[in-house]
Amino acid sequence: MRRLTRYGVIITAGLLATAACSSSSPSSTSTSTSGGTTGASGTLVIDNENGALWTCGFNPFNGSDTLVSVGFVYEPLVYVNPLQSGATTPMLATSWSWGAGNKSLVFNIRQGVKFTDGTPLTAADVAYTFNLIKKYPALDLTGVWSVLSSVTQTGPFQVTMNFSTEAVPWFYYIADQTPIVPMHIWSTIANPVAYPDSHPVGTGPYMVSPCTPANITYKANPHFWQPGEPHIATLKYPAFLSNNTANDDLANGQAQWGAQYIPGIQQFYLSKSPNFHYWFPPVLNVSLVPNLTNPLLSNVKVRQAMAYAINRPQVSSIGESGYEPAANQAGIVTPTYSSWLDSSLMGQYANYTFDPAKAKQLLAQAGYHLGSNGIMVNSAGKQLAFTVINIGDYSDWVASMQVIVQDLKAVGIQLTPDNLTNTAFEADLYRGEYQIAYYEQATIGPSPYYELTDWLDSADTAPIGKLAATNMERYINPATDALINSYGATTSVATQHSIIDQLEGVMLSAVPIIPITEGVDWYQYDTGSFSGWPTQGDPYAQPPVWAYPDNEQVLLRLKPIAH
Amino acid sequence: MRFVLRRLGFFALTLWAALTLNFLLPRLMPGNPALAMLAKFHGELTPQSLKALEILFGVQTHASLASQYVSYLHQMVTFNFGISLTQYPATVSSVVGSAIWWTLGLVGLTTVLAFVLGTGLGIVAAWRRGGWLDSLLPPVFVIASAVPYFWVAMVLVLVFGISLHWLPYVGGFNVITDTPAFSPGFIGDVLSHAILPAFSLLITTIGTWILTMRNTMITTLAEDYVRMARAKGLPGRRIMLDYAARNAILPNLTGFAMSLGFVVSGAILIEYVFNYPGVGFQLLQAVEGEDYPLMQALFLLITLAVLVAILIADVATALLDPRTRAAR
Amino acid sequence: MSVPLSVAPLDTGRVPATHALARMGRAIRSNRKATAGTVLIVFFILVALFPGVIARDNPSLDAYKPKLGLSAAHLLGTTAYGQDMFAQLVWGTRNVMIIAFTVGLATTAIAVLIGVAAAYLGGLWDASLNVLTDVLLVIPLFPLLIVIAAYARNGGTLVLILVITATSWSYTARQLRSQALTLRSRDFLEAARVRGERKLYVIVMEVIPTMTSLIVASFLTNALYAVLFASSLQFIGLGDPNTVSWGTMLYWAQNNAALQTGQPLWAIAPGACIAALGAAFALLNYAFDEIGNPALRPVRRSKRVRSA
Repeated sequence: MRRLTRYGVIITAGLLATAACSSSSPSSTSTSTSGGTTGASGTLVIDNENGALWTCGFNPFNGSDTLVSVGFVYEPLVYVNPLQSGATTPMLATSWSWGAGNKSLVFNIRQGVKFTDGTPLTAADVAYTFNLIKKYPALDLTGVWSVLSSVTQTGPFQVTMNFSTEAVPWFYYIADQTPIVPMHIWSTIANPVAYPDSHPVGTGPYMVSPCTPANITYKANPHFWQPGEPHIATLKYPAFLSNNTANDDLANGQAQWGAQYIPGIQQFYLSKSPNFHYWFPPVLNVSLVPNLTNPLLSNVKVRQAMAYAINRPQVSSIGESGYEPAANQAGIVTPTYSSWLDSSLMGQYANYTFDPAKAKQLLAQAGYHLGSNGIMVNSAGKQLAFTVINIGDYSDWVASMQVIVQDLKAVGIQLTPDNLTNTAFEADLYRGEYQIAYYEQATIGPSPYYELTDWLDSADTAPIGKLAATNMERYINPATDALINSYGATTSVATQHSIIDQLEGVMLSAVPIIPITEGVDWYQYDTGSFSGWPTQGDPYAQPPVWAYPDNEQVLLRLKPIAH
Repeated sequence: MRFVLRRLGFFALTLWAALTLNFLLPRLMPGNPALAMLAKFHGELTPQSLKALEILFGVQTHASLASQYVSYLHQMVTFNFGISLTQYPATVSSVVGSAIWWTLGLVGLTTVLAFVLGTGLGIVAAWRRGGWLDSLLPPVFVIASAVPYFWVAMVLVLVFGISLHWLPYVGGFNVITDTPAFSPGFIGDVLSHAILPAFSLLITTIGTWILTMRNTMITTLAEDYVRMARAKGLPGRRIMLDYAARNAILPNLTGFAMSLGFVVSGAILIEYVFNYPGVGFQLLQAVEGEDYPLMQALFLLITLAVLVAILIADVATALLDPRTRAAR
Repeated sequence: MSVPLSVAPLDTGRVPATHALARMGRAIRSNRKATAGTVLIVFFILVALFPGVIARDNPSLDAYKPKLGLSAAHLLGTTAYGQDMFAQLVWGTRNVMIIAFTVGLATTAIAVLIGVAAAYLGGLWDASLNVLTDVLLVIPLFPLLIVIAAYARNGGTLVLILVITATSWSYTARQLRSQALTLRSRDFLEAARVRGERKLYVIVMEVIPTMTSLIVASFLTNALYAVLFASSLQFIGLGDPNTVSWGTMLYWAQNNAALQTGQPLWAIAPGACIAALGAAFALLNYAFDEIGNPALRPVRRSKRVRSA
């Protein structure tokens, strides 16, 4: 027995020793690997949990690969900043102009840009890219060909696009969200949809070198068209399988650019170093979605009552730990789109501030009185008791719902949460087979138009039982549709603002959905290793690494801090 | 030999039962859950992948249940488990293949340690019957058997990982600084990440080993031939090891087989708490992401592994214990 | 469990059930482990029955300031959502005890049914039930539970109970069958057969009462594993996150990185309770192992005066 214990001690000691040897100190950033003639230095480690190992495919039209290829290797024509209401930065296009009636768009392509294999970029590549995704609709991730009619090269550095319908807001998808690929390579690919593109050739600031399933390493592109850029020589993008591992590496400083949801961020992350910061820019509304075909919910006073009965700041602080600010009933995400908010209109409704008394008043006006079981009931005996479907995996949404349930109970409306799996939830939501749902749309854009359209445009909705990927509450109003269409036809900022104001009016008076909190982008950054990060005071781009092509803007601004 | 064949037959039957369970479960659940999942991924999958998944889950096929079953079995036998939906476009086989080494390492290492330490301690406890070890062990390990595995893991994380910062407690290796390779740095990293998970698994599984060994040793020590050996004046250690322990170990092996199911459960939960990238962790990730193809394949793999281990234990028992052979 | 005793003229080695229970009671009092276990279980039962007496706060209401430490007002502090942790722990006992007892009883009932039936029906019944039991015994239970629970998500506690019951009866069924087999040859059963009693009567009235101790032990084992499996499934998110239970507390604690954000009690406390309850069942079981066999073994042939 003693012999065993002796060996045991030796083995344990050995293991601990190896542990001590290999336990890495926070990665230093002064590994000076200069890139080409640019004097780039330093290594930036990206921290974004993807839940799987990398497949080492970089096809910019493949939804699973876009987040590691666009912005790093491939670039768009123009950078449009959603956080600054669409402020533009010319990238591969130097200028553009709308033709008569806003049904044509001409881009002037930048000269002197080279792909990483040395081939110069011309308008031919741009035209080829758009016609490629026309030929293979599976590549058209944003559906630009639903509004385009033709894209042709009209000069060595000029491309003209013609539209089948007025679609000014689609500029965002065409100019910002479409990566430009080299014609001389892609025209030789037999099946571009399945093409893995393991050694991508693009015009962007970085090249892939090398990619392993556990980690992607990017090296600075020495031929990049912006002189002196990029400043960071090497990027590392590890494949994290779970949130915990990713969060842990942010907290110990081994990764510097995070896109993570971190619970208890103060103790977990911020307290570990004075250089650790976070910023969660709000981008989309998380809303209660009533099914407007439900006879009880179709009464606007009931919906208005619900909007007054919910204490949004409380949902935000308890359910979302304060990470997601309270939303407003106008559906304008603030402070991101504050310039679009019509405060006087909001004032007419007392900003829908938490007011249970007013809620009860409205319910009384709708013909409801409190029943003996504490639930509001009308003269026909119908109770205001509903099931609300929610995504069970989103623990913060489940927690938020608990607060909402409590708030509505206080005014006599009973909500019973039904926590579903992701796919079961989407199936019910899209088909309209629910009473109330809790949801956040996915479309972001340079103005509130993009999200509001998703909620209010009846062109995309569908009858109950059929799939509707937007406007799931089935809000149908021809006047609102006309407003939305008129926005699509104008480039006048004044007109756009006026239309959005009217759409806010719809949200406030008709209450088709009830925004509760504002969904945010998760973002953490380390100012001890790099400077030039986007911040609340300087929102020059969407900060998360998976947001493309905003990530390129961040990468171009970041500079290593010399130690 | 007949014994081994009978056991093999039994395991083939169990494997078939597991396969059939896998086949029936999604079809039995109200509103086939796989249906919604496949609808969601419809646009992204190639026709072959889609077909494979449809066969796996019985979606949109007009074939009869029987012919679906045949196609399903054929797929299983050719190891075509489909595409992982959460780790698209990786195949299920590739995900399983990369995860299995971690679990094998963790569970294998820990089981060997548990066997060696557990049997050793059990022998000593039985030999010194009534001593402090013997009276302390049973109640301690009775309680230990009731403690949830993940709780032990959490306590270890709290003490050694978070409070003392002695050992890493997340992941299998440091993804940022290390790339998988046969270098001393990587191996050291892997070992340091394995200590806490292995220790948790060890604590929760060693109890059975100790207790069974102690109990069988006590019975063995009461046997006549041991008394004879003592009367003959043989040295104590020799009696303990050569006479008693050798015979007492055998039932332990069968006990090991019985407890393997619990070792597996423990490993799954411990991998979850430590985010250790093994088969158990992938199973729970698959469940969370509704990745049914991956989930099914992992379940089958775990069942197969347990069956193989039990078979090995049974064969070893048969080889070592002539009584078993004769009785059958 | 009062079984009408048929007054047989000869003591053929059969122990009546009431006698067995009285013996059990005495044995429990004299065995320390058994006493400890019983006290713990009774304590938990009382907490489950009268949680409002101990904890005044509503466990699910997000009523307080989040992440408060220990204080007189909040004995264990508050969760990240502002719920009183002590109240959650106390009220959660109910869910756990319901699962433990329901699953324990149901599983034992199935195990008795299948184990004893297999032993007595013999032949093809025995063979097929045996195969079924053995197969289920060998398939790793927890992964199977995970898969079934994954398909049947959003079912809540009832689904948990059903799923665990449906899969965990095999171990105790096997044990019961073994004992039933050894009893088959006992004289008192021979006597019953000679008397012309039907097989069913023999099984229900004669065999099962004799197996009382093993049945009780089976119940304890099954209850223990019910608690462990159920809380494990809730911990990984396959239960209903809105129920108040120890397992769901662990789920929320894990989701909020409780250990890393300075709220270790949120994870440690419910785990300790599970361990305590599990230990109680295990202690009782272990004690039964020690006292059950000698005390309840069929008495040797000797005339005894039976108390009424």
